[in-house]
Amino acid sequence: MPRARATTPSGLSRVSQVVGAFRWAFMPLGLIALVAVGVHAAADAVDDRLRWGIEQFDAVADTFFARFELTRAWVDVVGSVERTHAARGLAFIWELVVDAAVALPALGYFEKAERDTLLNPRQTWRALLRRVREQPTPMRLIRPVVAAVFALAGAYAVARMVEGALFVALNAGVVADGLNGPVARICAASTMVVVLYSLGWRAVLRSLQHADEVCLDHHQRRAGPWLAGLWGSALALPLALAALLDTPFWSFFR
Amino acid sequence: MFARKPHGLLDAFAAVLCLWAAAYHTPVGALGRTLTARLLGRQTSARPMLAYYSGGVWEAARSGSPLAVPELSDPEQLATVPAGPAMGRAVFSTYLRATPERRREGAALSVRYHLGPALLDDPSTGPEAATQVVDLARGELGSEDAAVLAFFAGYDTAKYAAERTRAEGNPLQLQFLATRVAPGSADAVDAASQALSLGTAFGLSWPVEKNTRVTSPFGWRENPVTGRRQLHTGVDLGVPEGTLVHATFAGVVTRASYDALNGNLVTIDHGRGVATAYCHNSALRVRVGQQVEEGQVVAESGTTGRSTGPHVHYQLELSHRPVDPLLFKASGQAHWAARGVPELLTPTPTPVKGAAPRGSGVSLAPRNALERAAVLQAGAHDQPPGQGATDAIE
Repeated sequence: MPRARATTPSGLSRVSQVVGAFRWAFMPLGLIALVAVGVHAAADAVDDRLRWGIEQFDAVADTFFARFELTRAWVDVVGSVERTHAARGLAFIWELVVDAAVALPALGYFEKAERDTLLNPRQTWRALLRRVREQPTPMRLIRPVVAAVFALAGAYAVARMVEGALFVALNAGVVADGLNGPVARICAASTMVVVLYSLGWRAVLRSLQHADEVCLDHHQRRAGPWLAGLWGSALALPLALAALLDTPFWSFFR
Repeated sequence: MFARKPHGLLDAFAAVLCLWAAAYHTPVGALGRTLTARLLGRQTSARPMLAYYSGGVWEAARSGSPLAVPELSDPEQLATVPAGPAMGRAVFSTYLRATPERRREGAALSVRYHLGPALLDDPSTGPEAATQVVDLARGELGSEDAAVLAFFAGYDTAKYAAERTRAEGNPLQLQFLATRVAPGSADAVDAASQALSLGTAFGLSWPVEKNTRVTSPFGWRENPVTGRRQLHTGVDLGVPEGTLVHATFAGVVTRASYDALNGNLVTIDHGRGVATAYCHNSALRVRVGQQVEEGQVVAESGTTGRSTGPHVHYQLELSHRPVDPLLFKASGQAHWAARGVPELLTPTPTPVKGAAPRGSGVSLAPRNALERAAVLQAGAHDQPPGQGATDAIE
């Protein structure tokens, strides 16, 4: 009987195994960062619209305050600087709230060995999606969708950063003239795919798990699962919409 | 919980990239970097948190960044900016105040276009040389904003920003370009932001007849109605009621309303951090959100609101701060006309998109510019130095 040949892992595989020992640290951090970058891209997109709204509100307020001698001095209190800072400040606060609602739960990301019998069957895609169908709540419906959009926007922003860095770096005689653009673009597209393959789906599943946990908890406390995480979801939804409208996801592939 | 994979290189790579992006492209990341730098006793390149919105442009000098170009808003400083085409003056004056690294990028760009970098350091040739460089870069990169960014951030950086912005279907304006440059170029974005603001302001026209008497200048004064001492944030131009008031530059109307203080007022956002306001009008001719062109009638003068007689209160804001409009009145162009170089004054309207202002109002075709560059290098110019914006005040 021929003896089975023992396979020795390659150098890269060994490095990968060593790095894998720290998954407990870098995976949750990577997930938070991915969603947070996407949330910021969305907040940056709404900043201009907020500025416009504040401008119109200030015009109405000025008309009102200028009517009375006592409040007339207030008309000059809010100038262009204040309006800009107010818009950016609002966008920043909005971003922080959505970070807390959508990105922060990624800290609860936890892995167990595949053969571990303690793997919770309640938290698989199939089980979670079944509960979304059978017991739909705003949180169960909205959170995974917004997490998916933020993950996409985040992956796009990361890829863009990689492209920018490579475009300039490769121009220093590393590749032939005129090739730095296409090479950087291919690398950026690959980065986007890698980030989504590695972290994107996990961010969505983790968001679904978190929404499910919160809704179950509300259900057990008879607190009304429809109200669970309603504010966070309501604030995240417009930002996700802004991210969706403002991020040209396919621009690397054109 | 998730099933644990034994390997981690690819996931670690993705996570590190995400953390890198979060640290350098989000306000929370900036906060983290600032705190870390303070703990380690180091200087940080992180900008203030609110500067991470809209590319952080148009108020760069007040962003608090130690690398930011010092603001040029002191009237005395402004008056010393040598004459020349609007954008050239602005780029040159910003170049003089920029960090050595940014000046190197400007010099490198001038070398790329066969202009001696020494021309940029000389006040008598600097504005024209800067104009040539920006015009040539504009021809290659597609917009004045991208060209000015190239001047301070380097050609490759600006080229990438322009290509990406174009691929995304956005206009090539600095607020879009700025978010596409590497975090290490934040100070270059600051410099470009200042140069474009100044360049736009230098190119403004006047809302009424140029010779109109200024009845109350910009500055601290005793309010004629309340008697209290306060900053007069614009200039009062004495005109009869019903005089047509014109937009001093292309832009978007952000306010067209009435209040008991300013009367009927119009504000226009010209983009690039430049906004103008026209107060105390008897009638308004525009509505909010309307795109206006330079010279378009926006109102009829009057004496509505807190006013002692018919006049136009004309206010100019640069980077959200009121500045004396007289410092920018007909700046530069009169000097160039006097020099007898009419071809330099050929206006070429740049397509206006959204609130985007048009260019400096001065344009040269690349071929022509190269020829002029050769003439410039040969020293064929007789511009007397030190003629500032205030010379143009009538």
